[in-house]
Amino acid sequence: MQVSTGWLKDFLKIDCTTEELAEKFTMSGNPVENIIKAGAGLEKVVTGRVEEITPHENSDHMFVCQMNVGAAELLQIVTGAQNVHEGDIVPVALVGANLPCGKKISKGKLRGVVSNGMLCSRNELNIEGDSSGIYILPKDTPVGVPFAQVAGLNDDILEFELTANRGDCFSVFGLVREAGVLLNQTPKFPEIKVSEDAGQSSKDLIEIKIDAQDLCSRFSARVLTDVKLAPSPEWMQKRLEGAGIRAINNVVDVTNFVMVELGQPLHAYDYEKIAGKVLNARRAVAGEQLHTLDDSNRLAKGGELVIADAEKAAGLAGVMGGFETEITENTKTVVLEAASFNSASIRRTSRAVGLHSEASGRFERGVNEKATVTALDRAAQLLQEMGACKVCEGVVDVYPAPKSEIKIQFTCKQINDRLGTSYTEKEILDVLKSLGFKISEVDAEFDGEEVIDKISYAAKHLGKAAKELAQNSEVDDFIQSIGKTVGELMKRGGAESFTTYEAVVPDWRNDVTLPDDLSEEVARIYGYDKIPATLPKGSQQGGQSKLQNFTDSIKNILSSLGMNEEVSFAFTHPDMFDKLQIPAESELRRAVPIMNPLTDEYPLLRTTLLSSILENAARNFSRKNEDVRLFEVAPIFIPKSLPITEQPFEIQKLVGLIMGRRAPKGWTQDNAEVDFYDMKGIVEELLERLEIFNYTVEAGEHYALHPGKTAIFKKGREILATVGEVHPAVAENLGINKKVFVFESDVETLMKCTAKKFNFENLPKYPAISRDLAILVNLDTAAGEVEKVIKKSAGKFFKEVTLFDVYTGERIDAAKKSLAFNIKFQSNERTLTDEEADAAFKEILAAVEKTFDAKLR
Amino acid sequence: MESKIAELKAAAADSIKAAADLKELDNLRVKFLGKKGEVTNLLRGMSQLSAEERPKIGKIVNEARADIENLIAAKNSELKAKALQNKLASEKIDVTLAGRKFQRGHLHPLTLTLNRIKEIFIQMGYSIEEGPEVETDYYNFEALNLPKNHPARDTQDSFYITEEILLRTQTSPVQARTMQKHKDNAPIRMISPGRVYRRDDFDSSHSPAFTQVEGLVIDKGITFGSLIGTLDFFCKQMFGESTKIRLRPSFFPFVEPGVEVDVSCPICHGNGGGCKVCHDSGWLEILGAGEVHPKVLEMSGYDSSKVSGFAWGCGVERIAMIKYGIDDLRYFFENDMRFLNQF
Repeated sequence: MQVSTGWLKDFLKIDCTTEELAEKFTMSGNPVENIIKAGAGLEKVVTGRVEEITPHENSDHMFVCQMNVGAAELLQIVTGAQNVHEGDIVPVALVGANLPCGKKISKGKLRGVVSNGMLCSRNELNIEGDSSGIYILPKDTPVGVPFAQVAGLNDDILEFELTANRGDCFSVFGLVREAGVLLNQTPKFPEIKVSEDAGQSSKDLIEIKIDAQDLCSRFSARVLTDVKLAPSPEWMQKRLEGAGIRAINNVVDVTNFVMVELGQPLHAYDYEKIAGKVLNARRAVAGEQLHTLDDSNRLAKGGELVIADAEKAAGLAGVMGGFETEITENTKTVVLEAASFNSASIRRTSRAVGLHSEASGRFERGVNEKATVTALDRAAQLLQEMGACKVCEGVVDVYPAPKSEIKIQFTCKQINDRLGTSYTEKEILDVLKSLGFKISEVDAEFDGEEVIDKISYAAKHLGKAAKELAQNSEVDDFIQSIGKTVGELMKRGGAESFTTYEAVVPDWRNDVTLPDDLSEEVARIYGYDKIPATLPKGSQQGGQSKLQNFTDSIKNILSSLGMNEEVSFAFTHPDMFDKLQIPAESELRRAVPIMNPLTDEYPLLRTTLLSSILENAARNFSRKNEDVRLFEVAPIFIPKSLPITEQPFEIQKLVGLIMGRRAPKGWTQDNAEVDFYDMKGIVEELLERLEIFNYTVEAGEHYALHPGKTAIFKKGREILATVGEVHPAVAENLGINKKVFVFESDVETLMKCTAKKFNFENLPKYPAISRDLAILVNLDTAAGEVEKVIKKSAGKFFKEVTLFDVYTGERIDAAKKSLAFNIKFQSNERTLTDEEADAAFKEILAAVEKTFDAKLR
Repeated sequence: MESKIAELKAAAADSIKAAADLKELDNLRVKFLGKKGEVTNLLRGMSQLSAEERPKIGKIVNEARADIENLIAAKNSELKAKALQNKLASEKIDVTLAGRKFQRGHLHPLTLTLNRIKEIFIQMGYSIEEGPEVETDYYNFEALNLPKNHPARDTQDSFYITEEILLRTQTSPVQARTMQKHKDNAPIRMISPGRVYRRDDFDSSHSPAFTQVEGLVIDKGITFGSLIGTLDFFCKQMFGESTKIRLRPSFFPFVEPGVEVDVSCPICHGNGGGCKVCHDSGWLEILGAGEVHPKVLEMSGYDSSKVSGFAWGCGVERIAMIKYGIDDLRYFFENDMRFLNQF
């Protein structure tokens, strides 16, 4: 919605600046998004009279003018124009002007003579007309006033970004009503009165029907005869231009003018083209042909509201008129339609057709169905005033279920309580009345509780006694009279009373139905800055759930381990499943599909976080960020069934990835790259800090990982984490030409496996004894298995075992590897003897020899 | 004898003085004071002296011995100090070289921002509530007074899974779910952070997914003033004590009255001067808020005549962009290491 200030000024006296007016609108709920300033660039152009003109002493074609621009002293300006004479009134650009033509005016000398401005031509001011010399203004033009004012360029344009609830403000009258309240004025609206021409009657000429009463609540029509199509008058064209609507001809312009003025869209039909002289608001039949006024043939889906004549649909109601019944230069008789269509239906149709018009926008927000006839009258009046038609008698008006008035009962206390304010009754009622609400007092019925409230409120120290009184009372009349009396007393005492009022909502406001809505009216007019700020009283226990705290811990631990948190979209693509080598039969391919994805790029919800983190790694790699350390905690989406019938499972997963240098580049650090054991170390550290102990690690398999470099962390049956090197083929599919290591984990599983209590261990009183065990085993023997056997066979003094060397190479058999363990023994009761340690060591050696065919080195 | 002692003393003093290092000094100690040293020799020669002379000479010899010992000790300290000095001089390094770097990690700026928001509200007794990202149309819209074909749905163009299931466009469904978990008009103070989805192109100011946090308070006597006070406190905590808020009336179907909330620009403090963040307007729109619509309360089992509430919502990206001066929304989701490493 846009409107010129000039149009508003037809009804109101506006003394403030356009910016101030826009601020008032915005701060009371009708936001002005933009102001288009009238005469932009003419701010420093004023009217001036040539008091004296003399030839320039150093030029044969220039003149020196002494200009009266309304200031105490005359202004000297040099001009090269030849059409200026003493006494002429002309536009004068003062120093500092920045003209529409691009010229910037500064103080200067022209051939040695001081010039303090410029006399302007029409062209320089962007004014249409003869531009051969300086623009000579009429003799009666006032001197020293802004030129823009003289030229009638004082209409700024307000562009509104109206909220969905204020359909009434989609009109000049609506905005004027608001502005009237904001400026404390009563607007003077024009009298809408049509003098009908005797003779024909509308109802004899046209029949109106509503078959789809749920989609069209009212359909009113008027018939105009002897129509003379012509351009509309200049004033109307100017108003329409200000509203952003192109002038076409008087009939179309008047329908548009009335729509903008009153907010009621109108449609004009060529009466001669209406088959059967009947217009019916009905549902389209599926497959029905619609020839719309953009000359395109549309096929109805079925169910759209159309206006049809006896033969076919003549237009999509409220969205687009029909081609055949359009007004042409041959039109002689016009049927004007003013109707109220169901907003949801219009919205659906206009979206389906992809057409959003001034009319459909208004219907979507809802029009005032009480005012259809007024709109017809206004249009007929305007056309008649232009001498463009004769007006038939009467209106054909089909209004099967007239809307009843909306009445809201409220008390001022209710409003103040909601807002946290202490407006007086008068303040509250004044605002509502000024907005068009009709207010009356209601003889409200009190209930006992309400009366208690009133008494307590009125006299807190008497509250207890009053409560007893009211509770014991068996006589309703008594309660009624107490309620009334106390309310009356309070009112007289100047306090906020408990009088119940009834507000009749003005018919143009379809957004106000509850007392809560009334509180908004009060608040927005007085201003939200007037409401005292408080904090909710009392206290409550807040905080996070255990899972939320656990998730935060994971993030904090991983970031302390040099990992960077990523945030990625939950979307993915089937191609990604191929790239990740997810097997064809895998559950992970059964992803949740999006019905209306943004692009073909992301039609699914992810089933693994690997797709996200690898995409991020690939993006970094392509940007030459080759040292990447990422992690993310986020949900994956697993359907309960396909096709989707209910919400999918959302499972919180954790994923991490490293590639590139082990340590940041620096003179102290080499360029070694991360390997499997860096990733595994991070996972081990994470588990330790989450207090997850006593897990096992074994070689495993994973679709996207290197078959020889995949480890599975398990605790009982639960899989804590899968760690590995990304399969080189997967990395290549993603365009990463580097080794990438990842881990995957499930957040709730991790939480389930944390130690239930902290195990504090006393410091040992007696020293430990340690023994080193270096053995040769087959290459494929897992060190983890050897460790398990050591622990099992080490006896009661075993404390810990650390693998400190792994060797393969020339010094030993090529089919073997050497593992060196340091094993510690300790007792809490005494210092162990060497013999005890040796005995335990022997047991261990025997066990590993037996289990792994190990040889002591 | 006495002259012999004096000579010896002088000779010792000279050679101690000339000693170049600790080893040489030690040799001198042996030479003069050792078991076969010269002072010992002198004492041995005492036997030939008379009984009257013996104590006198003995005393002189002992004094000489003490003097030499002192000289050696002094020289020893001097040489040790010198040696340490030399050692320190030889150990000099280039202290301007960079220190050994740590492999540091970083939380995402959205997490950092959200953590701060959570802190602020947890200290006011709010709980942190979460809910599913794939929601039903009922919880996402209808329970919030947004029936089907409500024009306000247009501003939240949604990704649908089925006609009735969609990616949530706001975290408000968590409010409805939380309200329904409570009974007997029980008071609520909660915030609901989380990912939300709207069918917007991905550009510098739009994204098909972003992060929202919403707040809800329900209790007896909750007024619009409580909302203003709460938001004022939040914005001051978030952007600094001098921050002001401004409320502009607006329309959201789930609140009445509804407002949009601006904060005074924490970058230029309304002083303009070509502020890139607020474009010299001095204000930044960051929140939508209002008193909970009675229909919303009723739909989730609260009695709107007994309790009232307020709700607000804001984009975490928006807050983070203001706080860190980030001007492109895409940075948050591209996860470029050069971006992540800055926080």
